[in-house]
Amino acid sequence: MSKPEQFSVSRRDFLKTAGVGSLATAVITATEANLDAQSTPRVVGPGEVPVTLTVNGTRVDLRIEPRVTLLDAVRNRADLTGNKRVCDRGTCGACTMIVDGRTVYACSTLAIEVQGKQIRTVDGLARADGTLHPVQQAFCDKDALMCGFCTPGFVMATVALIEQHPNPTVDQARKALDGNICRCGTFVRVLEAALEAGRMVARG
Amino acid sequence: MADPRYAWPANPTLLSTRVKRLDGPDKVTGRARYTYDINRPGMIYGAMVRSPHPHARIVSIDASAAEKAPGFRTAVTAKEPGARVLYQGDPVAAVAADTEEHARDAARLVKVEYERLPHLSSEAAAMAADAPLVFPSGNTRKGNADETGNLDAGFKAAAHVVEATYSTHVITHVCLETHGAVCEWDGDTLTAWVSTQGVHQCAQGFAQALQIPQTNVRVITQYMGGGFGSKFAPDLQGILCAKLARQAQAPVKLMLDRKEEHLDTGNRPSAFAKIRAGVDSSGRLTAFDAQSWGTGGAGAGAGFPLPYIYDFPNRKRQHTDVFINAGQQRAMRAPGHPQGCFLTEILMDELADRVRMDPVAFRVKNLPPAGPNAMWAQYFEQGAKQFGWDRRHATGDPNPGPIKTGMGVSAHRWGGAGRGSQAHVDIASDGSVVVKCGTQDIGTGTRTIVAMVAAETFGLPVSAVKAEIGDTRYPFSGGSGGSTTAASVTPAIRVTSGKALDELFMKVAPTLGVEWTDLAAENARIVVKGNPAKSVSWKDACKVIGTEPISVDGRWEDGLSSSGTSGVQFAEAQVDVETGIVRVTRILALQDCGLIVDRLTAESQAYGGVVAAINFALFEDRLLDRGTGQMVNPNMEMYLLAGMSDIPKIDIVLNNMPERGVIGIGEPPTVSTASAIANAVRNATGATIRSLPLHPHKVLAALDRERAGGTL
Repeated sequence: MSKPEQFSVSRRDFLKTAGVGSLATAVITATEANLDAQSTPRVVGPGEVPVTLTVNGTRVDLRIEPRVTLLDAVRNRADLTGNKRVCDRGTCGACTMIVDGRTVYACSTLAIEVQGKQIRTVDGLARADGTLHPVQQAFCDKDALMCGFCTPGFVMATVALIEQHPNPTVDQARKALDGNICRCGTFVRVLEAALEAGRMVARG
Repeated sequence: MADPRYAWPANPTLLSTRVKRLDGPDKVTGRARYTYDINRPGMIYGAMVRSPHPHARIVSIDASAAEKAPGFRTAVTAKEPGARVLYQGDPVAAVAADTEEHARDAARLVKVEYERLPHLSSEAAAMAADAPLVFPSGNTRKGNADETGNLDAGFKAAAHVVEATYSTHVITHVCLETHGAVCEWDGDTLTAWVSTQGVHQCAQGFAQALQIPQTNVRVITQYMGGGFGSKFAPDLQGILCAKLARQAQAPVKLMLDRKEEHLDTGNRPSAFAKIRAGVDSSGRLTAFDAQSWGTGGAGAGAGFPLPYIYDFPNRKRQHTDVFINAGQQRAMRAPGHPQGCFLTEILMDELADRVRMDPVAFRVKNLPPAGPNAMWAQYFEQGAKQFGWDRRHATGDPNPGPIKTGMGVSAHRWGGAGRGSQAHVDIASDGSVVVKCGTQDIGTGTRTIVAMVAAETFGLPVSAVKAEIGDTRYPFSGGSGGSTTAASVTPAIRVTSGKALDELFMKVAPTLGVEWTDLAAENARIVVKGNPAKSVSWKDACKVIGTEPISVDGRWEDGLSSSGTSGVQFAEAQVDVETGIVRVTRILALQDCGLIVDRLTAESQAYGGVVAAINFALFEDRLLDRGTGQMVNPNMEMYLLAGMSDIPKIDIVLNNMPERGVIGIGEPPTVSTASAIANAVRNATGATIRSLPLHPHKVLAALDRERAGGTL
């Protein structure tokens, strides 16, 4: 039940970035870098503010409170309801989206934080003509879903896995999908689907 | 009894094959709209106000601050001042506001004053002689004793007697889509999208609670994110949602959050039993005497079968329900059976060791008579061979090192009978077919088997049949519980499709110059039996239908389904005796379910049942703080569930028994896994752990007791 490896910055990576400095030093350095970039700190909210997101290649203009999560913004305000809210605290992965190439728990990411980034949700994965992404096709072929509520998150985590490791090993696939929970118990077939999708992509 | 014309085909083209889930593409693309995904024009959001106390009296409810909150629209109460709340999470009121964030803000601003009362947070506390009387009719409810044979004679015949206390814990359903609804009124007509296992039951529930005609209620559940027995009624949150929508004159979405889901939507009750059991020197069971108890929360029962499966000729059992201040139990995947199975199967391995018999041979010796619904002897033998049971060592892994490996086995049974279900079939003159049935797909693949059975009957590909379910506008079908759905729905579809096909045959027969009874439907053609050259394509045949489509109603009839399944599971586990961590490495599940409809989705049910039971055995546990009565893990990071790396190699063997007709498979495969794992842990460590879950601290404690003088 550990987090998948491509999730944000691992503790080890963070310490590596921090070099020989202490954790506190690293935090101060990061804050200073932000201040430099923005020149002055800015208070936003608590009322509605304009937020612009780029979701599945389409610009979405919203007026939302700064506390609104990426998941709720996309689901409740843009009616892209594919990704689900389940645990609502970054544990189960049902909300998994891909932001600038990395998977994020959208329930624990503020919408306002990801302006200007490329956000991909499960809703935009299939081609416009309806052709399924190889990962989606493999999930259908292997019956890697039952009630289907965790499925969008598993699909997105698998897409990120395949993009990082085309034709992944069993261990890579297990690790990448460890951040997602299914209550119906589809795991055996999700793993088969992830490996099959990898083979499909490898074959072209 | 169903007309023999509608009997299941001897040589099916679709049935028992692997047909991919029809709604797979909708689910993998996010197009599938669950209740949680329904966004209606002008929709506002509801949120609940709940008791933070395990037991209290409501002194006052003041919503004035909430009414001034941004976006507030309306509020309703569920309880009035003076009423008692009986558990943390007991509903008190609900509010609606323009956004979900505002609704939760407003709910927090509802000021409820409570007078706290003494609470009971464990079975032991409720049963204590000096326990405060929390429940007016008593904190416990003793059932009648159940007695067969002559207990004294049974124990006299015993060469060995085992006496110990066994127990299982409380787990919650953790449906990934929380309970909830979207309610929308048009005058006095209610449309409710509900995450439910029973659309028609929900319509009845709304009508009764809101005092409107049931025919004014439409319930829709096209997709739902897991129920496992906890989602049969609108529940209070559904009723409050409808009331908020009526008051606000706007559609309201009210979905519970994760904490509410843990606290107030059901659980699998605990089970305890103090058991004394005897076996004679030949390995034949002689006697079983048990006092059992368990809690289903605040006021609900906690029954379970005991002893389970094995034949104790002389037995007595006395059960007591215990009430505590926690959310009430609801049916959960094979209610009662995982508990009764664990309590019995651990004991069986202890008894087998007393008479120095192999656990498989010991079980086979003590089985009830074999039959189509009692195939255990065959599965024990077949499974032992496939699993490599002959490599099992005696109790206690003799190999050095901290990682001990062991094997365990366990058996289970379930009913899964069919019952009244209705259906409607239309065949249009262009050859298109629609099948309607007011059942619902809770993730088992019901939509797919509805289409499969109709397609099989019409000799068409599955893609040529439109299956419409999940709506009370379709003919009545019962709730999806008790593994009854497949056995209820498929006969209804078979009979109704058969009748529709008869009508088509009657219209087509004159054009072929034969009697209608001489016709058959296969390979998308209507053919003359015994004269395959004489045929007409389905499409051409349907042209004779004309403008008025063939439109037929039908219902479940006896003879196409039956009841009673059996299964056996083998488990291999590794135990780290230094950390107490248990890792399941292999599971083999042998299972029957009568006529297998869709082999692909039936296997998925078995995989899912096994995984659910791995969670029950090793991970999940509803933890109540005894001092405060609060659940300490109402979330998904401290309420543990298996992830991908926790999943062992799982092999499923389904025994197709077409002569029995259809029987459900949703529940049986989850019954015996945990017991098989516990027996594997016992075989690995040599220590007997008589209580679930097998958390590391309990494993280490058992190992300590074993070293200190034995757990036997």
